[in-house]
Amino acid sequence: MNSLNKRLSAEKRFQAYGLFAVALSMFFVLILMWKIFSTGSGAFVRTTIEANVFFNPDFIQVNQNSLEKELYRASYVALADEVVRQNHPKLNEEQFIKVREMYTRKFDYQLRDYLLDNPDKIGQSIIMKITASSDLDQIVKGNYPRDVPEAQRKINDYQLSVLDKLTSEGKVSSVFNFWFFTKGDSRDPESAGIWGAVMGSLYALIICFSFAFPIGLLASVYLEEFVKPGKVTDIIEVNINNLAAVPSIVFGLLGLGMLIGVIGLPYQVPLVGGLVLGFMTLPTIIIASRASLRSVPPSIREGALAVGATKMQTVFHHVIPLSLPGTLTGTIIGMAQALGETAPLLMIGMVAFVMEIPGGPLDPATGLPSQIYLWSESAERGFLEKTSAGIMLLLLFLIIMNTAAVVIRRRLEVKW
Amino acid sequence: MVEQVNSFAIKTKNVSVHYGNKMAIDDVTINFTKNDVTSLIGPSGCGKSTFLRCLNRMNDVIESCKVQGEFLLNGVTDIYGDSIQVETLREKIGMVFQKPNPFPKSIFENVAYGPKIHGLASTQSELNDIVMESLNRAGLYEEVKDRMDDIATGLSGGQQQRLCIARAIAIRPEIILMDEPCSALDPIATARIEELINELKEKYTIIIVTHSMSQASRISQRTAFFHLGKLIEHGDTSKIFTKPDKEQTNDYITGRFG
Amino acid sequence: MIYFALLILVIISYLFYFVGKKRALNLKFNGNIKLSSQPDYFGYYVVLMALIPALLMWFGLLLFKGNFQEMFVMSPILFPDISTWSDGKLGLILNKLNNLSVIVNLPLDDLTNGEKSILNMASENELTAAKKLANFDKIYGWSNLTLFIIFPIILGFLATRSISGKLNAQPIVEKIITYIIKGSSYIAILITIGIFLSLVFEAINFFRYVNPVDFFFSTGWNPNRAFVVDASEGFDKDDLENAFGFIPLLTGTLLIATVAMIVAIPLGLMSAIYLAEYASKRVRDIAKPIIEILAGIPTVVYGFFAALSLAPFIKDVGESVGLPVSAESALAAGLAMGVMIIPFVSSLSDDVIKAVPQSLRDGSYALGATRSETIKKVILPAALAGIMGSFLLAVSRAIGETMIVVMAASLRANLTFNPLEPATTITTQIVTSLIGDVEFDNPKTLVAFALGLTLFLMTLLLNILAITIVKKYREKYE
Ligand SMILES: Nc1ncnc2c1ncn2[C@@H]1O[C@H](COP(=O)(O)OP(=O)(O)O)[C@@H](O)[C@H]1O
Ligand SMILES: [Mg+2]
Repeated sequence: MNSLNKRLSAEKRFQAYGLFAVALSMFFVLILMWKIFSTGSGAFVRTTIEANVFFNPDFIQVNQNSLEKELYRASYVALADEVVRQNHPKLNEEQFIKVREMYTRKFDYQLRDYLLDNPDKIGQSIIMKITASSDLDQIVKGNYPRDVPEAQRKINDYQLSVLDKLTSEGKVSSVFNFWFFTKGDSRDPESAGIWGAVMGSLYALIICFSFAFPIGLLASVYLEEFVKPGKVTDIIEVNINNLAAVPSIVFGLLGLGMLIGVIGLPYQVPLVGGLVLGFMTLPTIIIASRASLRSVPPSIREGALAVGATKMQTVFHHVIPLSLPGTLTGTIIGMAQALGETAPLLMIGMVAFVMEIPGGPLDPATGLPSQIYLWSESAERGFLEKTSAGIMLLLLFLIIMNTAAVVIRRRLEVKW
Repeated sequence: MVEQVNSFAIKTKNVSVHYGNKMAIDDVTINFTKNDVTSLIGPSGCGKSTFLRCLNRMNDVIESCKVQGEFLLNGVTDIYGDSIQVETLREKIGMVFQKPNPFPKSIFENVAYGPKIHGLASTQSELNDIVMESLNRAGLYEEVKDRMDDIATGLSGGQQQRLCIARAIAIRPEIILMDEPCSALDPIATARIEELINELKEKYTIIIVTHSMSQASRISQRTAFFHLGKLIEHGDTSKIFTKPDKEQTNDYITGRFG
Repeated sequence: MIYFALLILVIISYLFYFVGKKRALNLKFNGNIKLSSQPDYFGYYVVLMALIPALLMWFGLLLFKGNFQEMFVMSPILFPDISTWSDGKLGLILNKLNNLSVIVNLPLDDLTNGEKSILNMASENELTAAKKLANFDKIYGWSNLTLFIIFPIILGFLATRSISGKLNAQPIVEKIITYIIKGSSYIAILITIGIFLSLVFEAINFFRYVNPVDFFFSTGWNPNRAFVVDASEGFDKDDLENAFGFIPLLTGTLLIATVAMIVAIPLGLMSAIYLAEYASKRVRDIAKPIIEILAGIPTVVYGFFAALSLAPFIKDVGESVGLPVSAESALAAGLAMGVMIIPFVSSLSDDVIKAVPQSLRDGSYALGATRSETIKKVILPAALAGIMGSFLLAVSRAIGETMIVVMAASLRANLTFNPLEPATTITTQIVTSLIGDVEFDNPKTLVAFALGLTLFLMTLLLNILAITIVKKYREKYE
């Protein structure tokens, strides 16, 4: 009797271990998500300071009739300084520098972009919400503590007093951070955006798809429909299985050594990144596509052959269209994996500071995950929330892609 | 004698078929008369399907299958020879399978597919005519005329099988092979198909495998009895079912084995 | 330009499809000629005939563009000492010229200050070369484009002309497509060969500088010793001694992988067992996808998490109990990696456990064994081979994982088995050696390929072993 009790409590303990393992794994998901969301949500708003801006034509040396090119080149840096002086009168030089630091360094760009959109405002005074510097932003968001000695703060006492004055005047406000979604990278956290990286990843994925989808599909068609099982298929099969398990960094080395080193494709471009991701995705697509082809019943092939279709017609008119949803599902899942791959991008140079939004697969670019990596390596607190926000965006894309795969499978896949 | 040759749709001689090392058909010689319905009967596994599939070379796709012997279409064309392409051959010899296998496409597309790949219609309206006529002949047109664009797999089993018959006759074959076309159908659908076969024999030579002896006696003029890969007896249906020459045939039709 | 050319090519082929088909139809109806193929196939025929050579040519031109550029601008007249340049220097100069050529012909007004200073810094000869290069690029682009249009048009025209009653287009088209399909399936093999060749090729270059015995058996890792201003001047043998010792990387990799496996194996295996044998369907339906989310999260996210939260947390905990813990401890990287691998282990184990036949379980229950006894005494032993196989796959994953260790592990090689100390890994060092200047004539860069080759072979071995074991296991129960 005693031994039975012992056995039963052992049973209970074992079950508890299992439950614990499941719960712990789920806990990891939660804590990961919580950490990302709690650090990243700040990136979607930015602090601004209201200022009176007078687009003095004498100062920027353009007028209502100036060409766009001239407007573009006007001296906004000086205007920015002037705006600061006018909004904070009676500053000595030392104070001026401190106050100027409270505004973004990209002050001049903000003025320029505004004027380019509204050239009729030359000679007029308007109220603008000027973006605050990242350090000020972090203080306002409460990410930097205020109640520590001045030496440990990025914002000194004088700046804090100015901030408090501005706040009491109701000039400090938070706005939705469009810049994050529309701009390329920047040295200043407050003006750094993810859009360049998104486009880089998009071009890379387009290349990846254009390479891996047709080739994966045709390769699987050959293996399933045209070739007799034998040595050749065995070799290809073993090869594909192994390729699927090769570490992604090795694919990056292939890109660097072969595509860049030997063939001479440019460094840092989505074309190479996309090809490397395509090499990685190919096995996934072939495996999914073969399974999908196998699920098309032989009776369909017989039906087509019996009305006198050739093998090629049977395959292209009937078998491939019927297997396509399965192949597409596999392709999207493979591309979602490719989107999150960072190491190969590092190898082929898609991990540099790129301000411009790439205009095509041959322009230097970063990718979404490599941008996240770059930001995570920055010391500034302002980039921390950018990193998390970048991760949120990446996860959003992954969710969308995986959902699309599930929808395609549910909606389009023919059940036999 | 010359007349006799021409009245055979397919002549076969000394046919043997192996799957790997396993023999499925053993030295069968049989001729099929034009515009007759010939039933192939015999216990399951005796090689009826195998033999039928030799006639339009559907066995080509099975890796291990080796076919030997002589096959002549209309007394002259060697079915396995170089003078005719396998696709053209299958245009002349259509086939309907045991389980209805419509393409998962629209009803129209199912019937139109054959004519399209063989270029039987040069305009859309010609194609429409072919589809309509084929469906009509298969006795399906009235039931589906309002939903030609519906997916074919939504039809009932009997309708699907008639659609497959329409698909087979849309390419204007001379011969139609049917491999137990009613075995997956209910009695009413079966009766419709049998009716249809009766009408079709005016224009086509039909060779049908069936496991139902009553069906064979109802629809066919000629009957061939297979056993263990051998052709035991072949003759007029009435004779086979009333006074067969061979004891084995007699045993089979009286239900003593099979 | 390239996109434009590709677009034109697409339009041309689309048109040729109709031209070919039209001609076939004409022959059929107006010429009363019996065609041996369907009209469509004549369309495909013309398209393939026009398109394939053009694409091949384009590919060739793209491949050799650099060589043509070099031939055209890098003359000894402009650069007298060109014959003494190394490949790396040649590439650098060519790169510079390429950058210059974009701006050299623009009016000064349109240039930004940065671009102006680039121009000012360039020498007279370089400017001349850049202008030549700009010219070349222009001519090259235009001739490419013309060739792209004219070449396929001529070919397509010829192909159209050749259509007659005698031409049987269908078998030709099907043959070409067969070749294309066949070629596609060989690409997977080509990729493997490509990986192997590029790794071996550059690894051999590396071993020209560093003795393989030194590399595989020495314990010092200081690649910065290979830092030189101009790699073409050569290296001092003494400098390279003990600069590239593989051992500390290997121990670091194994240390972190071990930590990861200590986390992943029990959690993954127990989760799989619980979900397969105990959990109700509802729990399973919720828990399984959530755990699988862990597999879908990109590794850069784990790396960020490990570096940002996990490492400081572990350091704090360690210090509060009086243990000195490094901020880049192997423990933090290993833990994050372990979490990443949990779903991998659990889904593989799940497959394996499901493959154990019900009859074995029934036999055990019939003897009065409890569930856990059945699992421990019957199911796990029966599934052992398969589970071992999946563990090996997981190990191979851990060894090849890059981002987590790049972000959370140390860059400094440290020969240790203490997880609280910092450690570096093979993948970390591959990344480090390739960030910044990539010089194919410096062992500092080339070592990445030697490390990559080692890593590739290690994971390959593990994979083959694992796949063989799992396959054997599957066959046993089929
Ligand atoms: N694809 C195949 N591979 C191997 N043997 C087959 C194959 N198809 C049929 N057979 C064998 O050939 C014999 C005849 O089969 P079949 O022609 O289908 O018989 P029936 O249609 O008369 O029932 C059977 O013994 C069967 O097992
Ligand atoms: Mg049969």
